[in-house]
Amino acid sequence: MKRGWITWDKTELPPSAFESRLAVVRARLAAADLPALVVYSDVWRSNQGRYLSNFMPYWNRALLVIPRDGAPVLLCGLSPRVYPWIRSVTILEDIRPSANIPQQLNQLRTEKGWSRIGVLDLPQLPYELSVPDAVDVPWSAIHAEPDEAELSMYRRAAAMAREILDEELSGPPVLLDRRFVGRLERRFRRAGAEDLVIFITGDSVSVALEYRGHWVKIVRATVAAPRSSSVFKTELLSGPYPYECCLQSDLKPGSIFAVTTEGIVEGKRVFHGDTFRLGPDGAELL
Amino acid sequence: MAEHGWDLLLLYGHTWRKDYFRCLVNFNFSGPHAVAALDRSGRVRVIVCDPWDFEGLNGEAIFELDFAAALNRLIGVSRSAVVAVAGKELMQARFTSADHVSATYAVEELRRVKSEDEIALIRQAAELSDSGYRHFAQAAEVGMAEYELVAEVESFLKSNGAEDNFMLIASGGTEVVGMKPPTWRRLQAGDSVTTELTPQIDGYWAQICRTLVMGEPSAGQLEAFAIFAEARQAAEDVLKPGVNIADVARVQNDVFRKYGYGEYTGPKYTRVRGHNLGLHPDENPYVLEDVDYIVKEGMVVIAHPNTYLPLSGYMVFGDTLLVTADGCTSLNATERKLFRK
Repeated sequence: MKRGWITWDKTELPPSAFESRLAVVRARLAAADLPALVVYSDVWRSNQGRYLSNFMPYWNRALLVIPRDGAPVLLCGLSPRVYPWIRSVTILEDIRPSANIPQQLNQLRTEKGWSRIGVLDLPQLPYELSVPDAVDVPWSAIHAEPDEAELSMYRRAAAMAREILDEELSGPPVLLDRRFVGRLERRFRRAGAEDLVIFITGDSVSVALEYRGHWVKIVRATVAAPRSSSVFKTELLSGPYPYECCLQSDLKPGSIFAVTTEGIVEGKRVFHGDTFRLGPDGAELL
Repeated sequence: MAEHGWDLLLLYGHTWRKDYFRCLVNFNFSGPHAVAALDRSGRVRVIVCDPWDFEGLNGEAIFELDFAAALNRLIGVSRSAVVAVAGKELMQARFTSADHVSATYAVEELRRVKSEDEIALIRQAAELSDSGYRHFAQAAEVGMAEYELVAEVESFLKSNGAEDNFMLIASGGTEVVGMKPPTWRRLQAGDSVTTELTPQIDGYWAQICRTLVMGEPSAGQLEAFAIFAEARQAAEDVLKPGVNIADVARVQNDVFRKYGYGEYTGPKYTRVRGHNLGLHPDENPYVLEDVDYIVKEGMVVIAHPNTYLPLSGYMVFGDTLLVTADGCTSLNATERKLFRK
């Protein structure tokens, strides 16, 4: 299942965090003389909308519209029957049913008298949602580095992933089969994981885990980590997708990323990986 | 392709919608993007952007982190050709252009009628949805949180070979108007616990919808279930090749109208009266009175009259149905009853 227990714990992520984030967006809009910013969100590409509103579509897709002056509006493909639930886990009040999202956006633009409009990462918007008279606002312009609330939740997600996976792999030799995957599903979801992607390759298991909108990835093997290894892949976790392979040179200060290395142990090719933040002194393990 | 004048057909998938890609190359890629390119000679080239995907395809793919660049190079080789894209609408704007023709509808139409191999996989998924529902009903207990119940079911389904699962849930009484992801709410005596389980086997999804009452059902729950059962049966009685899918919706809604609950068949209370199944768990055509589509033998559809009724709150009931030469047959074996515990 794509999504587990979705909630908003305001002691963990206070409403003031969203106020600060929206203030950055509005300052950017003012600087560019734009009346609003449009943020695309779907069941897999929800990091950015979640960051700005705590909304994540467990199914379907939506556009989050953040006016320079006014409260955010959600143009939502989901049924109005779930809007009370959406309101209970997000900062959103104005939610508009939108079977035809481009049409709803045009209506909103007309209603508000907006001409040019900002779109977050415009070249990455789905083709069928193309927005006329739009200006690209890159993600980096509104999200330079993770704030304290984000970092804290990334750390909690990483600790959850590491502790449970290390426990499951400790003790007698473990067979990495589908029953093992089932055990991980039970433990992680009961611990509050919203989403989980488990991948087994040979004697290694990769767990990508989402905790309240914050993705981490950890890779372990049934044997100890190799003494010498090389980087197999680097993945950006704090971009639009839960994880996306990238070059190390693509990482910016503050990026949350996973590095998977490969090496040989007891004649077997094994992988090992963790999630990091690129800090001022280099990669910091989360 | 020749009929449409297409020289190159791109089947695009991203991590949420892998179905267009998987209808040609049934590989569960890690993502976030993959494309399979078919030319008129029958040659297939695949682009992936994760090294594990490259290894999973035994190196028989183009692996490049810059997916847009790889795609542009592949298309650029035949710049004068007609390029058609299934899934074009979902692609990031930078991956495609107005020059490319959408092949989405044409490919969906090809996918609607399933081959014997596809039906075999959907049967496996339906069997897993049956055993998954048994586990759901066994695991549900008064005092258990919805998300804990979902954890148990996810664990069961993955342990038994599901690649993925789509699942919604709701619990409570007449205040419940629809299903959603699980919450912290703990099951209580008298609750209706609704779920749709949709496990995926080797790319293909099957779905089952059932309602479980925690304890003895109330008169309202029993009365509501009788209406749902009649509506589900009406759909199965009419579903066969040559029937318009609109009629499969209409006969379900007519049952609700007959009992004075017609207002609960509209979008305020329900989404669809069923949908097609296959490589995506929510395929077109939707079973709605305003959808015009003639049913074909070999389609796999779920007909579910799921909606809210003031008698019971939200209730669900439906099976995965294979359209046969003269009717339809359920691929589910779960008892067709209001479950109780």
